[in-house]
Amino acid sequence: MNIRLGNADLARYPFLNEAAEYMSQTYFNLDDLNLPELRHIVERASNRIRNEIIHGKPDYSLERHEVEILTFLVGILIIKAINSDNLTKKHCLCEALRAEKFLVHDLKMQGELANKKLLVFKVFKELLKMDILPSLKYQLMFEVKVTDYLKRSHLFHEQEWKLINRLVHDGRVFLDPDETVRLIRSELANLLFERIGQMNPSHIPTTIREQANILRSILPVAPRRLDHAPSAYPPCINHALDQMAAGENLPHSARVMLATYMLAIGKNIEEIVSLFENAPDYNERISRYQVEHLAGERGSHVRYLVPSCAKLRNDGLCFATSQCEGLINPVQFGRAVKSYSKKVSV
Amino acid sequence: MILTKTGEDLHLLKIAFREFYFNQGNMVEEPSKIQNREFGLMGFDGVMKRHLMFSSLGGLVASLIFETPSDVFASNAQYDFPTLPISEKGWRGAELIFDIDLKDLDMKCIRSHSYASCLSCSSSYVSGSQESCPKCGSNNIAESMLPCDRCVSGLKNEVLKLHRFLTSDIGIRPEMIGTYFSGNNGFHVHVLDESFNDLDSRARADLAAYILGVGILADAIGVTKDTRNDFRIRFPIGGLDHGWRKRISDRLGISVSSQKRLSNLIKDLGGLEQFRRRVAEITRDMGVRIDSQVTTDVHRVFRLPGTLNGKSGLTKILCTDLNSFDPFDESCQLSNREVTVRVTIPKLKLRLKGERFNLNEEFVRVPMFLGVYLISKGLAHAVRLDPGTGRFIVPASTP
Ligand code: SF4
Ligand SMILES: [Zn+2]
Ligand SMILES: [Zn+2]
Repeated sequence: MNIRLGNADLARYPFLNEAAEYMSQTYFNLDDLNLPELRHIVERASNRIRNEIIHGKPDYSLERHEVEILTFLVGILIIKAINSDNLTKKHCLCEALRAEKFLVHDLKMQGELANKKLLVFKVFKELLKMDILPSLKYQLMFEVKVTDYLKRSHLFHEQEWKLINRLVHDGRVFLDPDETVRLIRSELANLLFERIGQMNPSHIPTTIREQANILRSILPVAPRRLDHAPSAYPPCINHALDQMAAGENLPHSARVMLATYMLAIGKNIEEIVSLFENAPDYNERISRYQVEHLAGERGSHVRYLVPSCAKLRNDGLCFATSQCEGLINPVQFGRAVKSYSKKVSV
Repeated sequence: MILTKTGEDLHLLKIAFREFYFNQGNMVEEPSKIQNREFGLMGFDGVMKRHLMFSSLGGLVASLIFETPSDVFASNAQYDFPTLPISEKGWRGAELIFDIDLKDLDMKCIRSHSYASCLSCSSSYVSGSQESCPKCGSNNIAESMLPCDRCVSGLKNEVLKLHRFLTSDIGIRPEMIGTYFSGNNGFHVHVLDESFNDLDSRARADLAAYILGVGILADAIGVTKDTRNDFRIRFPIGGLDHGWRKRISDRLGISVSSQKRLSNLIKDLGGLEQFRRRVAEITRDMGVRIDSQVTTDVHRVFRLPGTLNGKSGLTKILCTDLNSFDPFDESCQLSNREVTVRVTIPKLKLRLKGERFNLNEEFVRVPMFLGVYLISKGLAHAVRLDPGTGRFIVPASTP
């Protein structure tokens, strides 16, 4: 597939390798960012991040490609300078959401502009090693391999994402443009996160440092993170934590599970509230209220118990592995089970 | 289960198993990348040794002859370091495997061929008739079962259903599916297409739910909730042409050409809630009775093809033609050499290795394969002749 990316494409997808190539051809120098001519770019990027911190929402405005590519780059530099894992994640998620909107738009193109789709396929193929075919049979539908679908769909808790609720045929899952792009959102975010981690700018220009300092001052004070030892948690809890990390919206039942579990193993309310920080609809006051309620410090003064495995299984929150053999409640995980006779062979 | 066996029984089983691995070691199938697999050997004492590694088939078979385990397992996963504890093994993907077991089929005939063996007086009887031993009243009972032909065809039927799901829906080519008789009460279906190997347990759980027919929404066929009119129909893009959508619509007798028909059907059933329930029933019924825990667990060990099943003395074996496959013949690989056993169940009829047996006497001379089968099932004990008196040495009833 040989397609050329236009400048307008780079504006929408500034994370593509082609955008970096473009930059290298412009003889751009990091210290140029201190020039007054580029002041507006630095401010644009800074505002974008400010908006992310305060509202948790991406900026969908679209400018000329020179502006967009630079804004993207400056954004990353500021994020690097602030150096907060939480904010970095949030930023990546917002950049992914932003790209998602353009991707959906491109996938819906018909007629003359339909070859825009080719670009989208290129993005998927190169970035995510995933093939997407426009369906020959159904207009505006796309086909992905069952395996590619399964690897990603488990991040969504809505029942409609379960394979059984999809049109499946001959090893392919059929999706509409929104669903197709939705499928890769968190992956795109993770990819950006990885890239930012690998980026090592020679130095951070002063203007960037200034912006970083201003933004750092409006960051919510992050309480101590939970020491996250994944293998110590049962699969249901790990799954919920993964979803949170990917910026997914957890259903109420999953939040209750997570909170009651963390209470049961002795985490304090502060720590638990901070866990929910990553949720797209995070609101500290409400989260705190809910956790305190579950802890029995409010209302009925009843301390809520961790739901049973049977209940969780019913709610689609159970992801049992062999280590769950014989468990009745997730809190038993890693404790009593060791002495149970485990059925591990067939 | 081990309690049902006497020292004499174990002695005989070990001889038979050792003989098998010595003479028919070539039946043992070498798993791909054998050096990256975790092996587990179960002893006749019921103790499983896990986290073992073999770098060649020859080495494995030598061990089987030398150690004579009752059961041999290998991981479907490949690991960098198979012998380390789970968390340090370095998981490198695992074959996708489905398990279809008689216990999940609710066969009606099962009670008629399930047996209980009393561990106190070592007599046996058809279970279901009594809670406690009819002879001595003990409650110390071990259950066992000899699957019948009806059970076998029930299992085959599920396997064929599974094949259809895997080929037409999931798109796996038929030659990439290996179907094995487990050697006891079930079948293992191995997917050889490696593109499934890196699915994690959550992805496998979703796939298993698809095949089981669990979690369907009426929305999938276009029926959604409507606050004013109870429900609303808008057929999905792609219609009802394939997969579950097609199965459900065929069963309900509906098609995208007639919304009216579906609408009437929902009303006849009593509304959206009832319709939803109906759809869920259909998918449960048409789904395959796989054991989803088995498919979902990516750190499990599975019986190695070509080895003996300690619960029966039959071999886990590849079925090249499922329709004609007879588990009571092809998987029976032990020798014909005669042994003496004391049968604990009166009047037992069965078919094995192409022969019919009517066991009416308590003490009988039977071929090794039958002796092992009965002993493994807890329905007979090995007996030795006293060289001095020429009489049977009847082992003590409680081991
Ligand atoms: S079995 Fe229990 S502990 Fe294990 S994943 Fe399911 S709900 Fe969690
Ligand atoms: Zn008895
Ligand atoms: Zn039967």
